[in-house]
Amino acid sequence: MAYFVDRTVKMTWWERSYLPEIIRGMLITSRHFFVNLFGFVPFFLGQKKEREIFTVYYPEEMAPIPIAYRGRPVLAINEDNLPNCVACGLCEAACPAYCIDIVPGENTGKQNQVERWPKEFTIDYAVCIFCGNCEEACPEEAIFMSDDYEIPMLDRKKMKFNLEQLSVPIEKLKDRVEFTRKMYGKWNY
Amino acid sequence: MLLELIITLVKVFFIIGVTVVFFAPVLTWVERKQSAIMQDRVGANRADILGFTALGLFHAIADAIKMFTKEDFIPQGANRFLHTLSPIIAVIPAILTFAVVPFGGQYELWGTKVNLVISDLDVGLLFVFAIASIATYGYVISGWASNNNWSLLGSMRTASQMISYEVTMGLTIIGVLMVFGSLKLTEIGAAQEDFLSWGFFMQPLGFFMFLTASIAENKRIPFDAPEAESELVAGYFTEYSGLKFGMFFMSEFIEMVTIGAIVTVLFFGAWHIPFLPSATLLSWLDFLGTNWANLVLMLIHIGVFFAKVIFFIWFQMTIRWTLPRFRYDQIMKLGWKILLPLSLANILITGIVILAIN
Repeated sequence: MAYFVDRTVKMTWWERSYLPEIIRGMLITSRHFFVNLFGFVPFFLGQKKEREIFTVYYPEEMAPIPIAYRGRPVLAINEDNLPNCVACGLCEAACPAYCIDIVPGENTGKQNQVERWPKEFTIDYAVCIFCGNCEEACPEEAIFMSDDYEIPMLDRKKMKFNLEQLSVPIEKLKDRVEFTRKMYGKWNY
Repeated sequence: MLLELIITLVKVFFIIGVTVVFFAPVLTWVERKQSAIMQDRVGANRADILGFTALGLFHAIADAIKMFTKEDFIPQGANRFLHTLSPIIAVIPAILTFAVVPFGGQYELWGTKVNLVISDLDVGLLFVFAIASIATYGYVISGWASNNNWSLLGSMRTASQMISYEVTMGLTIIGVLMVFGSLKLTEIGAAQEDFLSWGFFMQPLGFFMFLTASIAENKRIPFDAPEAESELVAGYFTEYSGLKFGMFFMSEFIEMVTIGAIVTVLFFGAWHIPFLPSATLLSWLDFLGTNWANLVLMLIHIGVFFAKVIFFIWFQMTIRWTLPRFRYDQIMKLGWKILLPLSLANILITGIVILAIN
């Protein structure tokens, strides 16, 4: 539907002079100026703990990230200091960008060790599209999308992360584990 | 003779130091920071020396280094001589205006009379206007010499805008002259000792018209049609880079200081403190001895003057970051159809009132 501006409004002589609106605009901007000046300059000088301006100064401080946020995928390390991963290859298959690369290791007799584990686990963040399909496909709660989004680098080759670089203790991922159970549990994977 | 020369040189260095070395770079920082604070942002704070950012003050130094080291590019087909000449013509009048602007009164220090103005011309105010209109040539030549259509359009707009508003400015000043009866800026300043005799109370309409016209002369938002980014790339300095661009940039900021200074002298009591005549202040400082008291008074007056100038710079910045740009026809309409008749009416009313009082 077309939007019509009513241009037949009769303005008074005082309104037509444009001055009252200028004064109003100046009052608003200078109010912001003074409120912010006394709200955040003392903070900047370290005299005040709380800042009265809500802009986040990004590299120094980070905004809290909602738990549903999909940052870089990481591998969960369980309490025995081993990855939860059993190298089944489902994430590799689910990955639409083919950025996951797994070389499995098999148990050859020692029964006190885990049955199967990833010898090498590589994710190329230069290729990853952060879709979260790997997390959804994982049957062992081994791969999770973390809240870390600071992965830009100057060298593309260094963006291939290996097993040690990907490992994150599972205590740090507790909230995300809860979240995935709630979200993907609906379909009974 | 030698003493006079030294005093004059000190004053020249003081003015050059304050306007070019201090105000022009610091104002780039002020503009960034003030606009940021007004818009609930943080503003420039990345440039640092050894991890010490000083609230982003070093951005001014970084700017200067950038401008000094950038390639000085002259486009093909441009007039090389005029292309180089025009930024110089634009920046020099802005600095030269300060030759007649008094930044303090007259003081007697150790038997020497110190008049805080570089050149106390009898036609000081006319000199300001004569010099300021030379800058128009710089802007027009820069547009023509660049061999660029945007530049030419920008400089045509500059010429018409500056000529239109110069008329208003000149006519507004006549009201001030009628009230104070002098063209000497030092005398106009000295006549405003009493708070109620400030030009602002004598010529309230004249003050607003003068401020509007001088912001239009400076080509800042809301009157920035000559360099409108969304229409003309960058207007008359589209083809300039490096230090030449820096000179155009600097002339804008120095002109802001000039406008602040002239408005202060003409309308806001120059170096006088409201409700505090110099004689009273001097009697308070009497315990220092005459010479030292005079020196302290001089410093206080200089401080007061520049505080007023800084207030007007703040005011111009607030206007710049509050109002949107006028359309070109609106600028012309405001100049010729509203401000010009109003300034003529102002002269008439001033004349009638002066006649009635006498």
